[in-house]
Amino acid sequence: MGEFEVHRVRFFGLVPAGVRCLACQPRGSRLALARTDGAVEVYNFAANYYQEKVIPGHEARTVESLCWAAGDRLFGAGLNGDITEYDLSRLSAARGADGGGGPIWSMAANGTGTQLAIGCEDGSVKIFQVIPGGIQFERNLDRRKGRVLCLSWHPSDTHIVAGSIDVFRIIDVASGQTVQRIMVNYHVEKVKRECVVWAIALLSRGTVVTADSFGRVQFWDWQQGTLAESHTVSTSAVLSLAVAEKEDSIVVGTSTGATYQLQLLPVKLGGSEKRWVRTKPFQHHSHDVRAVAHSPTALISGGLDAQLVIRPLLEKVQKKGYDAVLRKFTFPHRRLVSCARKARLLLFQFSQHLELWRLGSTRETGKDGEVLPLCRMPEHLVQLKSKGPEHIYCSCVSPCGTWLSYSTASRFHLYRVRCDSVSLRKVPKVPKLLLPAYQLQFSADSNSLFVASARGSVHVLQLLEPGGCKHLHTLRPPSGCSEAVYLLAPSADGHWLAAVSGDWAIHVYNLKSSKHHCVVPTYSCAVSALAIHPSTNNLVVAYSDQQLVEFSIPEQQYTPWSRTVQRRGLHRCWLERDTPITHITFNPKNPSHILLHDTYLFCVLDKSLPLPDDSTPLMNQSTLKQLPETARKRQLHAFKICKKFQPLLFADLLDENSLVVVERPIMDFKTQLPLPVQQKKFGT
Amino acid sequence: MAALCESFTLRGPGPGGGPGMSLEPGPGPDLVLLTERGRAATLFKISDQKPLGCWSVKHGQVLTCPVVCNFETHEYIAVHDDKVLRIWKNEDINLDKAFKATLSADVHRIHSLPQGGPVVLFKGGGVRTLDVLLEAPQQEIENIVSDEAIRWSGAFMESQQPVVVFATEKDGDFFVYVQKPKLGSLLKYRLEPQESSKPLNFTAYLKNQTVTLLCLYSNDSVYQVLIPLQQDTEEEEQILPKSLLLNLSVSGSVLKGTSLVVLDNDHVAVLGSLAAPDKEPKECLTIWNTKFQTLQTSKELPLGTSGQLWCYEEKFFLTHGKVLTVIMYKCETSSLAAAVGKLKDSQTPGVSSFVNWDTLEGEDLVVSFQSQESVALKSESRMNLRSRRSNVAKVQPENFSVGQLLLNLKDAPTNVLENELKKLMSKTQTPDLQAAIGSVVTALTNRCKANPRYYPQSFLLQIVETRDLSYSLCPDLMPIALEKRDFYLLQICLQRFPDIPEQMTYACLKTFLSISDAYLRMTDVDLDSVICYIDVEFNNKGVKTEIVENGFNAELDQDTCDTKIPRQTHSKSDGESCPIGPHRAALLNSVLHSAYSETFLLPHLKNLPAQQVILFLRYLYYLYVKCSEKVNTTLPGVRSPTINQIMDWMCLLLDAHFTVMVILPEARELLSNLHKFVRAQVRFYSELNKIEGSLRELQRLNHLRDSQTYSIEVLEII
Repeated sequence: MGEFEVHRVRFFGLVPAGVRCLACQPRGSRLALARTDGAVEVYNFAANYYQEKVIPGHEARTVESLCWAAGDRLFGAGLNGDITEYDLSRLSAARGADGGGGPIWSMAANGTGTQLAIGCEDGSVKIFQVIPGGIQFERNLDRRKGRVLCLSWHPSDTHIVAGSIDVFRIIDVASGQTVQRIMVNYHVEKVKRECVVWAIALLSRGTVVTADSFGRVQFWDWQQGTLAESHTVSTSAVLSLAVAEKEDSIVVGTSTGATYQLQLLPVKLGGSEKRWVRTKPFQHHSHDVRAVAHSPTALISGGLDAQLVIRPLLEKVQKKGYDAVLRKFTFPHRRLVSCARKARLLLFQFSQHLELWRLGSTRETGKDGEVLPLCRMPEHLVQLKSKGPEHIYCSCVSPCGTWLSYSTASRFHLYRVRCDSVSLRKVPKVPKLLLPAYQLQFSADSNSLFVASARGSVHVLQLLEPGGCKHLHTLRPPSGCSEAVYLLAPSADGHWLAAVSGDWAIHVYNLKSSKHHCVVPTYSCAVSALAIHPSTNNLVVAYSDQQLVEFSIPEQQYTPWSRTVQRRGLHRCWLERDTPITHITFNPKNPSHILLHDTYLFCVLDKSLPLPDDSTPLMNQSTLKQLPETARKRQLHAFKICKKFQPLLFADLLDENSLVVVERPIMDFKTQLPLPVQQKKFGT
Repeated sequence: MAALCESFTLRGPGPGGGPGMSLEPGPGPDLVLLTERGRAATLFKISDQKPLGCWSVKHGQVLTCPVVCNFETHEYIAVHDDKVLRIWKNEDINLDKAFKATLSADVHRIHSLPQGGPVVLFKGGGVRTLDVLLEAPQQEIENIVSDEAIRWSGAFMESQQPVVVFATEKDGDFFVYVQKPKLGSLLKYRLEPQESSKPLNFTAYLKNQTVTLLCLYSNDSVYQVLIPLQQDTEEEEQILPKSLLLNLSVSGSVLKGTSLVVLDNDHVAVLGSLAAPDKEPKECLTIWNTKFQTLQTSKELPLGTSGQLWCYEEKFFLTHGKVLTVIMYKCETSSLAAAVGKLKDSQTPGVSSFVNWDTLEGEDLVVSFQSQESVALKSESRMNLRSRRSNVAKVQPENFSVGQLLLNLKDAPTNVLENELKKLMSKTQTPDLQAAIGSVVTALTNRCKANPRYYPQSFLLQIVETRDLSYSLCPDLMPIALEKRDFYLLQICLQRFPDIPEQMTYACLKTFLSISDAYLRMTDVDLDSVICYIDVEFNNKGVKTEIVENGFNAELDQDTCDTKIPRQTHSKSDGESCPIGPHRAALLNSVLHSAYSETFLLPHLKNLPAQQVILFLRYLYYLYVKCSEKVNTTLPGVRSPTINQIMDWMCLLLDAHFTVMVILPEARELLSNLHKFVRAQVRFYSELNKIEGSLRELQRLNHLRDSQTYSIEVLEII
């Protein structure tokens, strides 16, 4: 097919923030995750664990605890002392209420989801009522000395167990009184260190499970106040704990990065006497596992190494599918890089700043695998720090490289860039828009900017020389929509714009008439990437379940190729891939080519070639390279996959035979993380 | 190793407790009968920790001795107000309505014996069985002890006869009486007096027609007194000598015992307070090993006890604080290893007893053959059988079962037999192919045994190499191979069989070590496991261990001018050249590979002659040094031994021949080299641990260097 000159970029210094807490939606299919920088993410199990929603963080808003209440409402609480409700359709922190007890260390919702309990720095446990449109303080429970680090409700909502340092106590919710106070380090002799109860759970049979800094998982009979079982699972602290809904399995995370499963098993086969047994150890993390969750079919853990690991319990998985395989997510399922093709610029988005780089160049050519000598080194042009405490939602650089734009929760910025002298000038008087913007996209000719906004709307701004802009109009889906738009794809001829909103509907607008054109037939999975072909105006859509469709916008129907793909089905290996496609682009010189990538592969999809079936290997590039030219013909198929660049955060075509790929080797960012707990390796 | 296990509360704090409490075994397993405060008796189910029944006497009446259970009739027997006997059953609720008999003398205690029924001991020393007493409750009871007070009593069964032993005290003198109520015999002994201390508690057990009485004295010692049940001399008041059994002191602290219980031959349990010179005394329950005079285990009882201790069904019963606590214990046969804590828990006692695999499997096979044979004989006459065989051999041999075929071929000439068996083996679809092959091999080995000149080596080899056989399927194969010195077959067997008994492994090892080099060089052995690491010089030099230059070229040695240096290197390189030839090494490797259990192998290994031990050890040492040359501590080549196998065998050999190795002068240098090398390895690893951080940093730097942050590469996509 051809040779590419690949600009292999590894200077994007992204360090994903560590996972702080996790919350499985009760009886739902969503997982909420909060990171140490305050960002909150929602993963959808039903859509192949797609990272469906991202709410960027805020300097003053750390999240110590997340919980789902009243069905699908998500609440977070943190050390700033506020309880925040997240608006999942507008992807923003909606309402906050002061906890009134200093920093909040823990929060738990009761079984019915009608009440929230928070544990505060001052030792108090407070109950809030979840009411439509917010939360309301209900009352204080018995306050004792010592911060309340963890909380758990009894499934019948009658009692709350609260863990703090050296001690945990059981509080009767009705009377608000402490009914039992248990010292956890009573059994350890001569201990001067304090024992921190990091996580706690109250089971329906009246057993309290504690995880503490001595590496123990202990089971207590709370009525007697006696220790029933104690398992020392680690030499360092056990930081997190989650119980399966059936209460027959527990997962704990430790500061050595190991997670363990404990199961309630009969002592004898078929016997009625059961005991907790430590069954499976896992070492998926290199750093502290601060958060664990237990879904009905999987153990989920999140560590300070920024990894989210979903380890399926194979005995609970009925059929072989996406859920049956271990999944690790380190990088976001969305683009943080944008590329100015013509100007050869890359814009990197960090949580609170942007970096603009110019790519280097070479005059040489070479054969496959060769590294070419550089005649110009890449250049760091600008670092743009976002003002204020809010983190950046999205950013974009225009194809010509003269415009740059980004948005935070409350502010939208547009800059004029001059590359020759490297100057950045802010465009004054940007129109007031409905903020935040979830996605920014410049048109191919850099004359207009599309701003994805809440309620399914897209604002179209006209960019004016030498540095100004004007709000042209707002595109809205005719039937209305409550969810925000999170992906945009303008066509190269400036005629069409496709927008995907949080309800996974793809609306196509005619930009010439500013009218809604059509809706792509809805599919039951999240859209992970989409793009409009420059010459045929076919919309190519990648879904998070790895399906690909091609939809002809002028004809408002799926193309014949797309129908063939649907009929034949995609290759098994393609469907079993780990991460969703995050970017699609095209080769203008070769209309049958679609370029796509996910975190682990870069693929050129040649529509003119036959589709592979399950019996032929999907990854066949290395075998093809060994074959003589004549023999290659028979082996060729549509998917040309290159796995050389990993983990891949971005790949784009600069011109017909040069590519840019942005990698972020795991080791590079691991070295920037704080050192993990030291463990002996040699001669132990 | 004796150990105290978990404890639980049988009865929470109640009105009772205190010295008026007594515990007797109940009418069945897991049941105990508690008598307390002179008022009530309660039957407890231990595992459920709950009472099953409770009986109390009327106000004004006092239970004067522990309530016991008649194990034969499952009746309960109590005595209240010294003279009134009550007998009732489980279903009776009101004690007042129970059977009542008033006796003529005061009862001291009732002992219930599992086969002998209850025996009543009166305060005056008289003893009656309950049956006799109930026939005439008002019968006169003799007074034996006059003004002595009974301090302790016990009852045993000896040759179907109940024996009651009791100790009395009068003015500091102690007497022991032995009564056999059915024979009416009475023996009286006097306990050897002890200066400045007196017995506090007694316990006794019967063994070999002798009652062994253990006395806990106030000088913190346990004495043992043997009481003969037959008095030999007519001498009056024989004095019983006592011997010191145990001194209750451990490293400075002394146990002030209050009660003692015998657990088994070697273990006693003592309840008391442990007093160290500068510490407050702590009450604790202790288990002592009398054989080795060691304190095996102890448990502190911080809340205090009543000083009483009972022990039934491997459980201790005592009042801890105000609650009646049950502490379970384990008491295993003691050995020195267990006493010093060296014996692993998993190992069963009786190390030397090993399973005889031959008999087990052999019997099995014999039975199956016999049954087949008998069936065959029953159905047809022998003549018929023969004729049919000849038919079948020509027409359709498939219809025959393997057993029948083998029977038929029993007397066939060897070439016919082999041909038939080969034919049989080519039919792979037999349902129980494994068993069939096993019986084929057995048939062959039987023939080998019968005919010493017959040995189908290649055929056997073919079977072993192509089929997944196991030792148990053909237990005769390896002994025959060993007898015929078929080392190649043995090697293959050792590599392939998963279940070779240790006896066989040892026999192979011994043969491999003892066979002459000349013979070995003639044999054909698979050298795959050796060829990659063994020194090649041996191929031409042979294994002349005495004069060998240890891998150094003689000319090279001559070239070096200094004579001291080569000598140094000579001794140093001792471990660097292989002490044995490649053939022997290959055979030994197959032994190293075979599965074994330490327990079963060790007794055999002890029989290995010292010279062979040293040779083997030198080879193992050589392997260990070779292993350690590589970072990943593995030897090259296929089926080469792993470092764990080498270490395990080295430890085994040293364990088995520890004393020999210490004494033998030849072994000294080897041992010291081994020691030095292991020490060096330990140091090396500890150094590695120390520089782990630096290594990691180097790795990181290395990583940073080779991954540039930007490059332009050419990628071809086809």
